[in-house]
Amino acid sequence: MSSQQDEAQGTLLLPGDSDRRGWGTAHGHHGELLQGVFEFAGSLHRGLVTLPCPIMSTEASVVVTEETPEWTVHPPWKTKALLAARATADILGEKAGGAVSVQSNIPTGFGMGSSTSDVTATIRAVLSAFGGTLPTDRIARIAVEAERAADPLMYDRMLLFAHREGLILEDFKVRMPRIKVIGFVARPEPIDTLALAPARYSRWEIESFRALRGMLRRGAAEGDVAALGRAATASARLNQRFLPIEHFPRLLQVTEETRAAGIEVAHSGSVAGLLFDAADPNLAGKTDRARRELLRIGISHTWEFFTDGDDERLPDS
Amino acid sequence: MSAFRIRKPFTDVVDSAVLPRLIHLSGDLYAAAFQLMKLLPAQFVLQRALEQGQLTERSTVIETTSGTYGLGLAMVCRRLGLPLILVGDTAIDSHLRRRLEALGARVSIVSGQAARTGGIQQARLDRVERIRARHRSPFTPGQYDNTMHANAYGRVAELITESFPQVDALICPVGSGSSSTGIAGFLRLLWPDLVLIGVDTPGSVLFGAPNGRRRLRGLGNGLLPKVLDHSLFDEVHWVPAGDAFAMTRRLHADHTLFMGPTSGAAYQVGQWWTRHNPGGTVLAVMPDEGHRYQRTVFHDAWLRREGLAGVETPREPTEIAHPGDLEDRWSRYAWRRRTRDEVVDLRAAVGTR
Repeated sequence: MSSQQDEAQGTLLLPGDSDRRGWGTAHGHHGELLQGVFEFAGSLHRGLVTLPCPIMSTEASVVVTEETPEWTVHPPWKTKALLAARATADILGEKAGGAVSVQSNIPTGFGMGSSTSDVTATIRAVLSAFGGTLPTDRIARIAVEAERAADPLMYDRMLLFAHREGLILEDFKVRMPRIKVIGFVARPEPIDTLALAPARYSRWEIESFRALRGMLRRGAAEGDVAALGRAATASARLNQRFLPIEHFPRLLQVTEETRAAGIEVAHSGSVAGLLFDAADPNLAGKTDRARRELLRIGISHTWEFFTDGDDERLPDS
Repeated sequence: MSAFRIRKPFTDVVDSAVLPRLIHLSGDLYAAAFQLMKLLPAQFVLQRALEQGQLTERSTVIETTSGTYGLGLAMVCRRLGLPLILVGDTAIDSHLRRRLEALGARVSIVSGQAARTGGIQQARLDRVERIRARHRSPFTPGQYDNTMHANAYGRVAELITESFPQVDALICPVGSGSSSTGIAGFLRLLWPDLVLIGVDTPGSVLFGAPNGRRRLRGLGNGLLPKVLDHSLFDEVHWVPAGDAFAMTRRLHADHTLFMGPTSGAAYQVGQWWTRHNPGGTVLAVMPDEGHRYQRTVFHDAWLRREGLAGVETPREPTEIAHPGDLEDRWSRYAWRRRTRDEVVDLRAAVGTR
C-alpha cells in the first residue's frame, strides 16, 4: 500500500544523548461515520465522527538532547510531528531539544488520519520524555495548531469533533461499539486532505445533518450498530456531491444485498468500508458474502478489523 | 465531564415550544404533538433572513396568513422587536386576531368586496404587494413559496431519529407542505423505505382533487405551494371536516390529548394505517393544540349548527381511482411518489370527464 513504513526507522542512539526518553503511540482511523456541519452553542461548525482503526497505528519515540534546544524528526518530512514536539516542549516550559522518531503503518493520502496519528503519538512521546501530562483537550489543540485540521484520535471515545478548531461539539460519552469493518480503496487516487476545498453545503444539507446526528446519538447510547450504519450510509451519500466515489450506487447495492449495517467512507480520503454488527450471529456468513460481492464489482483487495482492536487481517501492501 | 446531562431552563418561550412532544398513543401509533408547529418555520426563516441580511432591525415583516403561521410570526417578531403586518381575510378567527394584536402585529383584513374580482387568495397577495411598496425594507417570509420553510424541520427529524429505532410510516396533515416535505425528506436519507402519507381535505387542490370550499381550515390549500414536494408521498388521504372534528374529540377522549382538527384528521388516518399494517411504527404529526377550537370543534352546539354533530367516521376510506374523482368523503389514493403533473396527466390522457 505504501513505502513509508520502510522509510521510518527506529530511534538511533548517538553519543551525548541524555537518558531522558519517551515513547508514545496513537491509532489511525478509517474515515468518518459522519462529517458535515453542526450546531454548537448557537452557531455552525464543521465537524466529524471518526471510525477508529486500531490496526493502523503510529509509534513515536523521543530522546531529549540536553545541550541544544533544537528538535529534529525522523523521517524528516514528518514536519507536523516536529511542530507538535516543539509546541509540547514549549507548553511544558522545557528548554531542552530532542530527536523524534516516528514509525507508522498508516498510509498517507487515504484519509486514515496518518498525520494526526503521527502528531498525537509524538505529543505523547514528548510528554512521557519530560514526565509531563496535559489534558486531552489540550493535546487536541496542539494537534490542530500543528496540522490546521486534526482528527480526534487522542480521545478514547465517540465524539462529534470540530476538526478545524479542536473543539468537541458533542461528547457521546461511550466508546465506539464493536463493529466489524471490511475496508477497501474506493478512490484510486490518493488525496491531499488539506488541499481539498471545504465542502459548501446547501442549507438543506446542513439541516439534514441534524437527522444524522440524532441517529448517531441514539446508536451510541444504545450500542445500536444498525443506527450507526444508517447514519454512516447517509453521510456517505451526502458526501457524493463533493468527493464522489465512482461506483457508489453499486456499493450501496452490495451494502443492501449483504445486509451490512451500512457503508462508511473517508470524506476526504480514499478508503471506504462495509460495517457489520460484531454481535450479529451470522457475522461470518455476511462478511463472506460481502467479500464475494465486492470481488464481483472489481474490488479484490480488502482488509478487515474490529473497531475495538481485536484485529484479524492487516492490509497487505 | 459528567456522565449525564442536567436539564436547564429554556432561554426563550419560542425555544421552549418549537419542538413536538413524541407521545405513544397505543399499539404502534405515536404522535408528534406540537404546541404550535408554525412557530418552528417562523423562527427558522426569520433567523436565516437575519443572518443573510435580508432582514435587518429596520425591516417590516409582511405576510399573508389568517392562521397559526401568523401567530408563530407574531411571537418571533415580538421577541426580535420587529414590526409585523399580517394580511388576512374576514374569516380570521376573532380570538386569534386579538392575540396577534396583543403581540404587536398589525392585522390588515381584505374584505369580501376586494376578493370578488380575482379570488380571496389573490386579493390578499395584492394587498401584501401594496403594503410592501409603502415600506422601505419589507421582508415577506413567503410560507408557500420559500422552500426555506421545509428546512426548518431538520430539528424535528433529529428528535425523531434520536427517539425511535425505526419509523415505518409518517402521517402528515398537509397545508403548505413544509412540514411533510421537510420531515420526510430528512428522514428518507436514513430510512429510504419510510412510507409518507399525506392528509388533505376535500376542496383542496394540493393533490389534484377538484377545487371547492374547505370547511376544515388549516388543512389543504386552494393554491399550489412551491414548498410541497409531491414526489415524496406514497399515499394521500382526504379527510372531510366532520370526520376530522369527530376524531379530534375522540383523540381527546381516548388519550386526553387535546389537539386541533388537523391532528384529528391525522389521528383518523394513523389509526387506520396502524390497523392495516401491524408491526411497524407509525408517527402522526399533530400541528396544534385544541384551545383555539373550544368554541367550534369542541362545542356541541356549534357542531350542530354546522350540521356536523354526531358524525360517524367510516371504518374504511373509499379507494379512488384518481384524485379527480374525489367526493366529500374520506378517500384514499396510492400516490406512489409521483409528481403532481404525473398524477393529473393520468386523467388527461384518458380524457377528462
